[in-house]
Amino acid sequence: MNLFQSITSALDNSLAKDPTAVIFGEDVAFGGVFRCTVGLRDKYGKDRVFNTPLCEQGIVGFGIGIAVTGATAIAEIQFADYIFPAFDQIVNEAAKYRYRSGDLFNCGSLTIRAPWGCVGHGALYHSQSPEAFFAHCPGIKVVVPRSPFQAKGLLLSCIEDKNPCIFFEPKILYRAAVEQVPVEPYNIPLSQAEVIQEGSDITLVAWGTQVHVVREVASMAKEKLGVSCEVIDLRTILPWDVDTVCKSVAKTGRLLISHEAPLTGGFASEISSTVQEECFLNLEAPISRVCGYDTPFPHIFEPFYIPDKWKCYDALRKMINY
Amino acid sequence: MRKMLAAVSRVLSGAAQKPANRVLVASRNFANDATFEIKKCDLHRLEEGPPVTTVLTREDGLKYYRMMQTVRRMELKADQLYKQKIIRGFCHLCDGQRCVLYCFMLSSLTQEACCVGLEAGINPTDHLITAYRAHGFTFTRGLSVREILAELTGRKGGCAKGKGGSMHMYAKNFYGGNGIVGAQVPLGAGIALACKYNGKDEVCLTLYGDGAANQGQIFEAYNMAALWKLPCIFICENNRYGMGTSVERAAASTDYFKRGDFIPGLRVDGMDILCVREATRFAAAYCRSGKGPILMELQTYRYHGHSMSDPGVSYRTREEIQEVRSKSDPIMLLKDRMVNSNLASVEELKEIDVEVRKEIEDAAQFATADPEPPLEELGYHIYSSDPPFEVRGANQWIKFKSVS
Repeated sequence: MNLFQSITSALDNSLAKDPTAVIFGEDVAFGGVFRCTVGLRDKYGKDRVFNTPLCEQGIVGFGIGIAVTGATAIAEIQFADYIFPAFDQIVNEAAKYRYRSGDLFNCGSLTIRAPWGCVGHGALYHSQSPEAFFAHCPGIKVVVPRSPFQAKGLLLSCIEDKNPCIFFEPKILYRAAVEQVPVEPYNIPLSQAEVIQEGSDITLVAWGTQVHVVREVASMAKEKLGVSCEVIDLRTILPWDVDTVCKSVAKTGRLLISHEAPLTGGFASEISSTVQEECFLNLEAPISRVCGYDTPFPHIFEPFYIPDKWKCYDALRKMINY
Repeated sequence: MRKMLAAVSRVLSGAAQKPANRVLVASRNFANDATFEIKKCDLHRLEEGPPVTTVLTREDGLKYYRMMQTVRRMELKADQLYKQKIIRGFCHLCDGQRCVLYCFMLSSLTQEACCVGLEAGINPTDHLITAYRAHGFTFTRGLSVREILAELTGRKGGCAKGKGGSMHMYAKNFYGGNGIVGAQVPLGAGIALACKYNGKDEVCLTLYGDGAANQGQIFEAYNMAALWKLPCIFICENNRYGMGTSVERAAASTDYFKRGDFIPGLRVDGMDILCVREATRFAAAYCRSGKGPILMELQTYRYHGHSMSDPGVSYRTREEIQEVRSKSDPIMLLKDRMVNSNLASVEELKEIDVEVRKEIEDAAQFATADPEPPLEELGYHIYSSDPPFEVRGANQWIKFKSVS
């Protein structure tokens, strides 16, 4: 299955298992602009898979309402770039519901899905990676898968998790990434990073599409510099797996974090800060962050903007030679 | 002699043809103007609406025809360049051809009557802001086709220096070109506030689509505009589909001209440029008299899909598109009117077609040949800052200068 098919499979499993589950968003009824919900309306009926008008704030607010009554709400925001009208609802309502009601109420059965990340031709408003904005908000969980197999397991975990979750799907991988994915439901635990490749000289941390870039950098490093890299996919951005990353850095002594979002205030800064607190004496070189520039996501300059393998490789080389 | 002139003009092309043709044309006695009946507008909270007849002069008619034809040809050319992958990114056109490729371009085919008609009803000193289907407006607000096409291809000759692309084009008194649906409407209300404050009798046309009409911020803007009596003309371009969703499936009330509730509204036939012009004049006069905002719904259509990645036939039938094309095409309507009332000849209009085609060809050449903006400009214009500051790059050793 490719990524969008694995998402469909996860949603199919959820709707089958949980009679209160509903999917809604813009254009989800016919299958969605990225085909993630194809066939679900026919299978489960139009009162479980339905379109909303063009109103992100309304969609999320509505989803919170459904979740508060106990039903499972799976809301789709058409592009992560459009999630900002709903920012208030997510941050001020969804994230704080349990806290402010002293656990009397919660909207834990809410999951928000949104296509995320650069796609080659998206320009300013179809390419953003807003995970950092949400990472700053206690009360929600933020998850980014790297592949179809990961996506299905993580999405099912998000839906079943008793906290409101935001699930960002790398849109460039929707068709490009293909893997063997089981048809039955399975879960991948949240807040657990995965060490994809073990190594001893430097730790590379990334999530989503960037994991593949960083993996390639790891093999380049092995081939050209004889450097052994440990590659970690963070998977859950909030709350993130501090232990796995710190354990790895304690072993290797070097850390490189990479993401498409702009450098300043990007999630790499949080990781960097925490790691230097925990592993200060283990570090052999300053922690390197290879990220997007501090500009709006450009229209024409995209190939120069993204932190591609060459920039990562360059940073890695400088760290090794520090 | 006449036959020879006609033959010569057919063979030659370009400026040389013009004088000969002019002689031919001048000898043919055209009417100076003609009166036409236009559709009555539905009204909401208004005692009377725009007039049901209007006078079109020959000069205006030719001007509108040329402008509409330019917008149409420009959109078709953009479509073509898109398919050749010379334009990339998202592109929302106003034209009606089938698209096979996987691209985004938002075009405005058949919405030409809207942009040209609106412009005809206001002054160049008035202000206009719209959403992403903006190529037509960029042209009617004064930019050249060259600058528009060059912006689409992302070259430095483009109106936003190649950094904005299809959805972000700007000109004097034209505030874009906005990608996020509905976000431009509160901006429009703000511009109207500035108009009122400056006291120069200007109005602001704030456009949005039938899909955006369901956004919360639109209603916030309505409230502010009505409360403070801002000279804002809210214009809903209802082309019956919000991307793939028909209006019946998206809106509890499809009477978009009434959605302003306490704001008076009118529903206008957006395919008839004269109707649009009269309605705009009426609305502008209403605002200028200090009565506050007014809402106009332009009933229009788009042949194309929402954007180039949308073939446009999965949510509507080809017959529907064909029917609109054959019965309500705005350029055809104007042409028929002018020819039938002897305001212009078929040959004359054809000549305009030829000139327009050439202009678009030249512009496309420029747009393809112009160099892309230099890489140093990646960091420019983030902030307004003096002296230039450094923009952090992909890693701690890459930096860009930001100049503004």
